[in-house]
Amino acid sequence: MAKTLVLGLFHEASPTADTLDQLRGLGIADDEITVLSSIPYRAEILGRPRPKGRVGTYAGAGAILGLATGLFLSVGIFLLYPIEQGGQPIVPIPPTLIILFEVTMLGTMWAAFLGLLRANRFPITKSQLYDPRITEGHLGVLVEVGDAHADQVESILRTNGAHHLKRAEAATPPDFRHRAFWATIIGAVVVGAILVTLVAYNVIDLSFPTNMADQASIASQQGPRLAAPAQAVPIQGPVSIDDQPATEPLASTPDSIARGKTLFDIHCALCHGQDAKGDGKLSGFFNPKPKDLTSAAVQELSDQEIYMVITNGFGPMPSLAENLSRTERWDVINYIRTLKGK
Amino acid sequence: MSEAKPAGKRDRAVWRRPMPQDEDLAHQIEHEREQHLLLDPRYPLNIDQDVLDPMYRLTKRFWVMFVILFGLVAMAGTTWLVQMWWGLGITGLDRPVMWAIYIVDFVYFIGIGHAGTFISAALRVLKIEWRRPISRAAELVTVFGLITAAMFPLIHIGRPWKFYWLLPYPNERQIWPSYHSPLLWDMTAIMTYLSCSILFAWISIIPDLAMARDHTQGWRHTFYEMLAFGWRGTETEWANHETALNIFSYGIIPVMFSVHTIVSWDFAMALQPAWHSTIFGPYFVIGALFSGVGAVIIALALIRKFMHLDYFLRQEHFDGMAKFLLLLSLAWDYFYFNDVIVPWYGQDPVEKTILAILTGGTMAPLFYLMLFSNVLLPATLFLKRVRNSIPAVIVVAIFVNIGMYIERYLIIPVSLGQNWLPFDWGYYVLHLPETLITLGAFGFIFFAFLAVSRLFPLIPVWEVYEGQVLQGLRRIGRALVPTRSEPD
Repeated sequence: MAKTLVLGLFHEASPTADTLDQLRGLGIADDEITVLSSIPYRAEILGRPRPKGRVGTYAGAGAILGLATGLFLSVGIFLLYPIEQGGQPIVPIPPTLIILFEVTMLGTMWAAFLGLLRANRFPITKSQLYDPRITEGHLGVLVEVGDAHADQVESILRTNGAHHLKRAEAATPPDFRHRAFWATIIGAVVVGAILVTLVAYNVIDLSFPTNMADQASIASQQGPRLAAPAQAVPIQGPVSIDDQPATEPLASTPDSIARGKTLFDIHCALCHGQDAKGDGKLSGFFNPKPKDLTSAAVQELSDQEIYMVITNGFGPMPSLAENLSRTERWDVINYIRTLKGK
Repeated sequence: MSEAKPAGKRDRAVWRRPMPQDEDLAHQIEHEREQHLLLDPRYPLNIDQDVLDPMYRLTKRFWVMFVILFGLVAMAGTTWLVQMWWGLGITGLDRPVMWAIYIVDFVYFIGIGHAGTFISAALRVLKIEWRRPISRAAELVTVFGLITAAMFPLIHIGRPWKFYWLLPYPNERQIWPSYHSPLLWDMTAIMTYLSCSILFAWISIIPDLAMARDHTQGWRHTFYEMLAFGWRGTETEWANHETALNIFSYGIIPVMFSVHTIVSWDFAMALQPAWHSTIFGPYFVIGALFSGVGAVIIALALIRKFMHLDYFLRQEHFDGMAKFLLLLSLAWDYFYFNDVIVPWYGQDPVEKTILAILTGGTMAPLFYLMLFSNVLLPATLFLKRVRNSIPAVIVVAIFVNIGMYIERYLIIPVSLGQNWLPFDWGYYVLHLPETLITLGAFGFIFFAFLAVSRLFPLIPVWEVYEGQVLQGLRRIGRALVPTRSEPD
């Protein structure tokens, strides 16, 4: 026996509920009646059984899938391809928890969305019995009934104040566009994944524009040799460079020389001797002996070289950088220069 | 507001009862209707039209704004291309400050994206009635805020085409991103939050898209028909819809908290002075909600004015949002005080220097402007007079956003200038490219709202209907008292 769909619109919830009672009295099962509305009426308002939702199940499945994905990303990958980081555990727990949380929530909510579409058989693309007035606040009662009872149902709807009654055949042709939609979505995801993998494995070679190779550059061993930048530290450590004093030299003035002598007597004379001949009181304890500062060997050194020796020490001689400030070192150098040949 | 019945339609809004004879009660009802949207029902068709009509309004002013905002976005896009070609060297980024305005923008826009979901999801979970007309606009602020924010790491990395290095995928070199890094947590969290926020907004708009489908013709009809998935409002559809919304509401709140906490960990996990703080997580979350609620207030004010939605968005909504903003301001004060007093008491030399720069140094004007905007000005919301004036609430909301932007600026480039090695100290100077890109980002948010305002219903019509059908007035003694619509 062919079935017919009957749709009637009501203004309010109360006559709708009365109609539903009468339809039930006619022997029409609850699942053959559908109420269409513009707002979610609670089932109790219309005296209807509570519809069973399946979205929660989908969300739960999504949560499990998300958790598994999270475990793969934060644990599986590291076990497959361990990254050693300073003796720390390969799979540390706190970051793993963060990733597990985020990916689980991602799975849950995406699955809830897809579950909503799936549970409602969205997108519905075949023509349905519907009336646009429903979104203007009307309630629609949609009954699926055998042809024989269709007139009876219509009269019940009419007595209760239904308006804009509609009828349609209850034929359910397969919804091809619905299937095509999902096939397209799934196809696009699969094709996308394949494309990404091909690019990732360099099967499809994409060369992005970059001007990194176009800048001025010099190959290894290519001349001419470039001068080091002014502030560069030489690779063999600190050395003096003639035209690049570490600090500005002090002009040799009588004042400077006098200061230099005082400082020399305090800091240098113990080893190098009062006359700077290398015969100070402690000179006997050193091997090699402290240098004779009046000698040609010392006096031929440049000022920078002497400065470096005072600053950094030389052989057994300690650094005097903490004892002498920079200008004081120049004072001492000026004094040493006066000792030439004495 | 016209109360005229649509021609030839019977008065079918049963919940809109005739006025009682008693003058006192009639007066009370009128007062309640003026105050509360949900007690002031209109014929659903009128409400549909009120929401749909402004979407057709393409005035000269609209096109002028459209061109200006599009110009801003295009300018930012061009600047980005120029920056891609010449490299990040054209910006003010230089050692030691390698994170500056782009990261400030990133944190700021992520923050903007926090309030929308929170308002929509938390107020739904708590069944707070005045959320009904504002949830859509709030969700859109979230979506656009997050999209803008997600652009900034791309802009900041200089070579955006290498972005896919962050994604986990099987590859030739067997190199996977290291999930030990906070930056990876960040990307995962933002991807979750952004995609789920879009889905959340989409689920809640489906019934309204069906409404729009039923009342439009031409390309709009086709457009809404496609996006509404064939919604008819059957009981099963509604039941599944509600379950999905509940799952999203409960799911997206912890995700929202996690996102900004992880953003704060981008900083707090580093041993940088003034960043390495355990309070950064909750402090950033509160700051994000604070600026975000301010942004939602601004968005609501704009759509109310330009989309003529003053029937839906009333003083009660701005009052509710203002109270929320006030509460968040107090919470922010508390966290900021915590964040300052501990380093101050510790007197670590580097953190002392940073504090000195803020309170008495070059950054003092910004610092005190921030305190004014985030502490003093929102405190005026204690006064009912301020809360009841929509322009005043908007001014406070704008200042809160300025203050929060400054806060991020002070935290990121200013702190970064002072690290543990004083020889390497420096400061950041704003250059033209990042200024233009930042302007463009703000332009994009407004542009997106402008475009969406003509495409999607900005008021969740079904939620407003539902509230109006279910809510009513109950007489207790001499007074009429509004009843709740959602018992639980």
